[in-house]
Amino acid sequence: MTHDLNRRTLLKAALGSAGLSALGSLPAFAQDARIRLYWWGSKERSDRTLKAVALYQERNPSVKIDGETLAWGDYWPRLATQAAGRNAPDLIQMDYRYVAEYARRGALLPLDEFLGKSLTISDFDKASLDSCKVDGKLYGINIGNNSNALIYNKAAFQKAGVPEPIDVTWDKFFELAAAVTKAHNGEYYGTSDGSSEETAFENWLRQRGKALYTEDGKLGLTEQDATDWFAMWAKAREAKACPPADLQALDKNNIETNLLTQGRAACAFNHSNQYVGYQVLNKNPLGVTMYPQGAGPNPGHYLKPSMMWSIYARSKVAEQAVKFANFTVEDVDGAKVLGVERGVPASPKIRDAVSAELDDMGKLVVGFIAHVTPKVGPIPPAPPKGAGEIQTMQRRIAEQVSFARLSPADGGKQYVSEAQAILSRA
Amino acid sequence: MTTTAQIPLTISEPEKRSKRRGGWSRTLVSYSFLAPWLIGFLGLTLGPTLASLYLSFTNFDLLQDPQFIGLANYQRIVTNDVKFWHSMQVTFTYVILAVPLKLAFALGLAMVLNRGIAGLPLYRALFYLPSLLGASVAIAVLWRQLFAKDGLANVALGFFGIQGPSWISDPNYSLYTLVLLSVWQFGSPMIIFLAGLRQIPPDVYEAANIDGANKVQQFFKITLPLLTPVVFFNGIVQTIDAFKAFTPAFIISEGTGGPIDSTLFYTLYLYQEGFAYFRMGYASALAWILLIIIACFTAFSFLTSRYWVHYND
Amino acid sequence: MTDAAATTQNVGGARSLLYHVILCGVSLVMLYPLLWMLASSFKPDDEIFGNASLWPDSFTLDAYIRGWSGLTVSFGTFFWNSLVIAVLSVIGNVISCSLAAYAFARLKFPLKNFWFALMLGTLMLPYHVTLIPQYVLFLNLDWVNTFLPLVVPKFLAADAFFIFLLYQFFRGIPRELDEAAIIDGAGPWRIFWSVMLPLSVPALATAAIFTFIWTWDDFFGPLIYLNDASQYTVQLGLRTFVDSTGKSDWSALFAMSVVALIPVLLFFGVFQRLLIEGIATTGLKG
Repeated sequence: MTHDLNRRTLLKAALGSAGLSALGSLPAFAQDARIRLYWWGSKERSDRTLKAVALYQERNPSVKIDGETLAWGDYWPRLATQAAGRNAPDLIQMDYRYVAEYARRGALLPLDEFLGKSLTISDFDKASLDSCKVDGKLYGINIGNNSNALIYNKAAFQKAGVPEPIDVTWDKFFELAAAVTKAHNGEYYGTSDGSSEETAFENWLRQRGKALYTEDGKLGLTEQDATDWFAMWAKAREAKACPPADLQALDKNNIETNLLTQGRAACAFNHSNQYVGYQVLNKNPLGVTMYPQGAGPNPGHYLKPSMMWSIYARSKVAEQAVKFANFTVEDVDGAKVLGVERGVPASPKIRDAVSAELDDMGKLVVGFIAHVTPKVGPIPPAPPKGAGEIQTMQRRIAEQVSFARLSPADGGKQYVSEAQAILSRA
Repeated sequence: MTTTAQIPLTISEPEKRSKRRGGWSRTLVSYSFLAPWLIGFLGLTLGPTLASLYLSFTNFDLLQDPQFIGLANYQRIVTNDVKFWHSMQVTFTYVILAVPLKLAFALGLAMVLNRGIAGLPLYRALFYLPSLLGASVAIAVLWRQLFAKDGLANVALGFFGIQGPSWISDPNYSLYTLVLLSVWQFGSPMIIFLAGLRQIPPDVYEAANIDGANKVQQFFKITLPLLTPVVFFNGIVQTIDAFKAFTPAFIISEGTGGPIDSTLFYTLYLYQEGFAYFRMGYASALAWILLIIIACFTAFSFLTSRYWVHYND
Repeated sequence: MTDAAATTQNVGGARSLLYHVILCGVSLVMLYPLLWMLASSFKPDDEIFGNASLWPDSFTLDAYIRGWSGLTVSFGTFFWNSLVIAVLSVIGNVISCSLAAYAFARLKFPLKNFWFALMLGTLMLPYHVTLIPQYVLFLNLDWVNTFLPLVVPKFLAADAFFIFLLYQFFRGIPRELDEAAIIDGAGPWRIFWSVMLPLSVPALATAAIFTFIWTWDDFFGPLIYLNDASQYTVQLGLRTFVDSTGKSDWSALFAMSVVALIPVLLFFGVFQRLLIEGIATTGLKG
């Protein structure tokens, strides 16, 4: 390589050992493909992913995979910057919330042409495939499914002598929650306030036959729907089933500040794949169940990919990247290394193979998904541009209502008018 | 601007000599000092800055090629953006409260630390600690423990029979807890004040002691005037920093600016627009409006500085 | 030092005690987060958030061992990377910024006010909007995924804060000193080297300390420009422990956060001696 001394090498040499470590990133010889793999997550996910990478490289010596990992909050600004610079990683761990944003702006590669060739996911059920489609094209490979899940502190319900909130209606749920609060002398609340959670709102809307967005990307709810939602929570707040606004506002929409983790409330509205994240921060055993139900038969739940693999539109090694992605979801050995850490695998054969080796927490999550699966409805169409902004907006309006700066009716009105303004701008 | 020294009434001997040597070589020598900065500015800074100015006239969405849309972004900001005015108000409140408080605190402690007291290096390090922990999760947890409803602040107030609100999560007060956070991280201006105090020649004080000036007189007649360049510096950079404040709100509110946008700082709003909602063109326009505001403030400060900042030159 | 200072500054015993009481009180508030971090690093994860007490119910050093092993590379690599970047940044910043500051403070040249205004202007634009154009620039230079985008700008005085800081201090140095040197036949370079720099030790130490700490703590630059784990800095390494959407290793985060403070405190400890030097100890006067 010494004959190839260029400007870059010289600069690095000038930087001494700092440069030496950087030299490691230069393309090596005798390798057909070099894949940049990018995912968010914590240490356990990194360990598992890198192990899968090592196994894959062992079997495919001509492929070199460079792993890049960051936490959720740092992940997206970097991806956006790199994509803006036309230098995004080849294989990108993608979130359901962002896939439409990236796909519609042409940053992701449609994967339909790989189907049946290097992408052998024909055993995925329709929902697991459709959930990764945007405007009819496949932009993601489902790594694992999750669903909305109510995560609750079993001990808090036991102590109150109240049954656990398994498959109950909203009315019953608030009744139980209020009883828990009372049993803990009002110091600890039966549930955290879910009025600002978009997942809870969406679930509830689906129970009444509505949706956040229609097929053609319009708002799928009316002022009355939003008003009823805010009013329901206002009533719960009054009954002390959920905490007052100033306590709830300490929740910053992540696991560590959630009132369940903080030891201030017994229930959290979240996703099934986050159960483990909650459990490791809690001393008491946690249970996981479906969100409270409406009057109708539809529980509002649906299965969605907790994560998917997407390919960068400008990737030069798309084929190889797809092959590695396929290895993690369709090859028993590859999938076993990942386990259910990213969600419950969509392929039945993989699910069975993986389930055999799970610990108790993993079994609980897989069991929950098995429990929900027969009851789920179809996945909603990919959200329109601006959906992310509306999610943030809901949080603000819910807070305005809970701090009594808006009546539920005004909150409902404002939700619809602001959401429409955002959709028309996007 | 007052960057040039006052013109001396008589040109000194050496200066005449250098004049004779010719302006060119003098300019060349001057620019040789400036060269690293100039290369960096022209090579690394200017391009991206102009690019962001251009992007502010486009609909750049990070992923697709930007399209020129004229003044549309600016027009929307001024005429049709409630959040712009709101975040502007949040930021101005923050600047007006945090900067003077922080500077007063930093100067006061620097004065105390400038005295001969045992264990000074230790105190200095301790006082700087909060600034070291800048964006750590520990800060977010601490602030919650201090300023939640059952936090230490309210325990203390309880002794006086006052039942305080949940300062950090009540939209009426949450911004003030961030002001306190800024004051608490007073380490950097304190160090700069300290360095400034150490540069005051001790013989000035000796002379004052002989004249019988007391401590208070000494502070106002000697310390403060000689410290004005440093006060001026700290004032300007802290104000610029406060206008651009991002990290405190980002870690305390997890980037939401909540509750109810009460801590939606200007740059936080800009960041949301650019990176969360894919409107980098719009975010760039927001940034340039902020730049103009800061520039006006800074220019004003420089214009007035000649009346109160005393340089030795 | 106490005795000598006590006599010169006239601090009596009772008064000195009062100062210590005040300073200790302030110190406690300053120290609390560090103590909390330290306590959390010894706690099992399920005790960190639900339990406000500083004293862990059970005590384990696991987090330090787990944390140090890092990703595919150990935390030792992250420390080395951070150290290389921070030390180079200190050298670059002190040299390049003092040169520019001297030019602005003492020399006369055409366009001086123009450049000075532009220099200050670079402080004013939020970095979020120059990030992408800058990334594209460094990408075209083929510098992405190396330390160059983090280090080279420091040698080119890219941080106007330090130019402005040193500029203010240089202007605080009596001009008679330069003039005396000019009469001795000294040119700008010699004045810079033998008059300005020795008299600005506290300011230069300040610049060195801030550069080291800010570079050490910076994560946005490394976040954008460094891809491979083998090049990660400490701050990036810390960000791989915790993910707010899933299972995290909080105690390891806090354990490594504590370890990460050590180099900064050491640097601060060594350089703060220089802070209290200056005219007071060099014995020069105007």
